[in-house]
Amino acid sequence: MQAGWVVPFLLVLAGRAAAQDHRLAERLDPPTAAAVQRVVDSAAHEGLPTEPLIQKALEGGTLGASGDRIVYAVGALHGQLGRARQALGARAGEADLTAAAGALRAGVSPASLQRLQSLRGDRPLVVPIAVLTDLVADGVSPDEATRSVLDLAREGRPDEEFMALRAGRGGPAATEPGGRPPLRPAADPPVDR
Amino acid sequence: MPAEPDDEIRDPALRRAIAELRRPVSLDADVERRALARIRAAGSPVRRPVRLVWLGGTLAAGIAFLLLARSPEPTPPPTASTTRPVLLRLAAPASRVAVVGDFNDWDPAATPLRRTDDGVTWTVELHLKPGRYHYTFLIDGRRWSGDPAGARAVESDFGAPVSVLTVS
Repeated sequence: MQAGWVVPFLLVLAGRAAAQDHRLAERLDPPTAAAVQRVVDSAAHEGLPTEPLIQKALEGGTLGASGDRIVYAVGALHGQLGRARQALGARAGEADLTAAAGALRAGVSPASLQRLQSLRGDRPLVVPIAVLTDLVADGVSPDEATRSVLDLAREGRPDEEFMALRAGRGGPAATEPGGRPPLRPAADPPVDR
Repeated sequence: MPAEPDDEIRDPALRRAIAELRRPVSLDADVERRALARIRAAGSPVRRPVRLVWLGGTLAAGIAFLLLARSPEPTPPPTASTTRPVLLRLAAPASRVAVVGDFNDWDPAATPLRRTDDGVTWTVELHLKPGRYHYTFLIDGRRWSGDPAGARAVESDFGAPVSVLTVS
C-alpha cells in the first residue's frame, strides 16, 4: 500500500522542479535562476504579483549584472511589493502594487499611498502614484509632491491632469504618438555594455 | 495441428471421458449457498483496493504534474482594445538601435527601432496596457542609453541608465 504513493510523490516533485519559469532558466545561470525562482514562489505563496520579479531578474540578466546582484534586487522588490500591499490592501491589483512599490522605494510614505487610495475610490492608482514617484525622483520633496497629487485626487481630476502636473515640471507629457515632447539631448552619456 | 472431431474419435473410453467432462456440473444448493456466504463474509478481493490506490494516486500525480510542470504562459500580446500606442524616439548616430524593457522581457532582439529619414532619429511604436514600464535603449548592440524624453527610474538597480514610462 505505501509503495503505491512513492511514484506519484516523485512525479509531483519532478513537476515542481520543472515548474521554473522558462524565461529564468533560459536567461540566467542555473544557481541564479533557482534563487530567483524561490523568491518568485514565495511571492506567489503570499499572493503578491510575480511578473515584476521576473522582469527585474530579466533586466539584470540583460544588463549583465552578477547573479548576486540580481537576486538581491529581486529580493528587495519582493519586500517592496509586500509593503505596498500592506499599504493598499489585498484588493490592490498588480499594476497598482508595482507602482506603489516604486513609490515606497522613492521615499513616499505608506500613509500617503493610503490617503491617495481613499481619495481615488475604485479608480486605478497607477498614474497618480507614478506621477508622485517621478516628482520625488526629480528632487521634489515627498511632502510637497504628495500635497500636489493629493490635491488633484481630492478634486477628482482625471489621469491627464496628473500627467500634466508631471509635464509641468519638465517630465514627459503624454504616452501617445505625437504627444511626446521634443527630443532632448541625452542627460547621461550612454553606458557601454 | 487441427483438433480431431468428436465423431471421429474411435476409442470408446475416450469418448465416455469427453462426454463426462462436458456434462454440466450441478452443485448441491446448500453448498452453493455456503460458498456465496463465505465470499460475502470475506469482503472485496484483496488486490482491488491496491489497484485503486495506484490508479488514483497516479492520476492525481499526473494532474499535479501537468499543472506544475506546465511552463508559465507567455505574456499574451496586448490587444488593441486594451492598449495604448506609445511612440519611443531616440536621436543617436548608430547603425542599429533596440529597446528593452518590462514590455518585451528585456530581450534585445525583440523590439528594434526604425531609422527615420533624417538618418539619426530612431523610432518605434509600442502598444502597451496601462501601467508603469522600465526600459532602456541598446545602441549598436553594445551601449545602453536611457530615454532623454522619459523619466529616469528611481529603481535603477544594475548600473545602466533605465527610464520609466507611465501609460494611462
